[in-house]
Amino acid sequence: MKTFEEKWTAWLDGELSGKELAEFEASLPDKAAAEAEKNDALKLRSFLKEHLAECSMGNEEFFHHQLRQRIESDARATAAPEKEDTGRAWWPIGRLVWAGATSLAIFAVCTFFVMRETDRSNQSQYLSQILNARVDPAVSPNATISMFETKDDKVTVLWVDGLQSLPSEYAAK
Amino acid sequence: MHREATPAKADVSELDLVKQCQAGDTEAFDQLVGRYRTRVFGMIYNMVHNEQDAWDLAQDSFLKAWKSIARFRGQSSFYTWLYRIVTNVTIDWLRKKQVKGSGTEFNDEVQLREIDPASRTVPRADALPHQRMERREIRTRIDQAIQQLSPEHRAVILMKETEDMQYHEIAEALGCSIGTVMSRLFYARKKLQNLLRDLYENV
Repeated sequence: MKTFEEKWTAWLDGELSGKELAEFEASLPDKAAAEAEKNDALKLRSFLKEHLAECSMGNEEFFHHQLRQRIESDARATAAPEKEDTGRAWWPIGRLVWAGATSLAIFAVCTFFVMRETDRSNQSQYLSQILNARVDPAVSPNATISMFETKDDKVTVLWVDGLQSLPSEYAAK
Repeated sequence: MHREATPAKADVSELDLVKQCQAGDTEAFDQLVGRYRTRVFGMIYNMVHNEQDAWDLAQDSFLKAWKSIARFRGQSSFYTWLYRIVTNVTIDWLRKKQVKGSGTEFNDEVQLREIDPASRTVPRADALPHQRMERREIRTRIDQAIQQLSPEHRAVILMKETEDMQYHEIAEALGCSIGTVMSRLFYARKKLQNLLRDLYENV
């Protein structure tokens, strides 16, 4: 269903025909006024056509030249990231092998040192500190006291050998 | 890219040129530009009323057309498809300009009009000075009247009255319905009739 505006425009542009035209013209309250309005619109059309048509561009060669340059520069701008991408693609193939090999070598060296340190600590699992002490030679001439301490188990073992009697200062309080 | 078409190339159909463009042939695109540049420029100029802006927008439109020509499927004519780009570019520009507010500081239109009469060293034979002045005044009045229309109304009235485009072509170019085109035409005509009646009744 066309609105009045649509029908009016179609009528003015000569796009109505047959039954549609007859119906529209019959619906007009004042046919003479409508015809005058139509003539007015047609005058406007030819007036606009006459005055708006004269638009010469001027310097057409330069227009083409400028457009050509913009297209070329746009093509270059589009191609540049692709080239960069190709450059980046070289990285994984060449340098990544070197980077990977270097990383592996560093890892191997680090592992070697870490393992060596671990082995060294495993060599004396119990003894970390030994205190050798001698008691008074007059009381116990052959006595020796050794102390073993394990850091991991937090245990200290006191090994006493050749002790005749416990000195009074060692007595438990 | 050479602008002058050889006789053989001049006969090349628009669709063939489009296909060549889609294959990356810039020379074919140059020919298409040569066919439409004046109409495109005129259309834009009548919407923006400034030569430099119209030039830049015509450049932008053709560049955009080149970039997206691969997507042209031939469902409408190349001309309608191109006009869709042109109107989108121009209407967007007009809206942005409206948002920013237009200053007269760099208004080339004003500068050209001030400089133009004195800068002509060779008199033109096509019209007498007073006739040229009269036409320029009329043109100014028309431009002022068109400036009072919304960008969409401007596009519709110019496509219909100066380009003689059909409703469906205008609808395709503007991406709206035929009914909308007819309705916009109705209001645009009414407004211009009110604004310009004294001119076209007396000239």
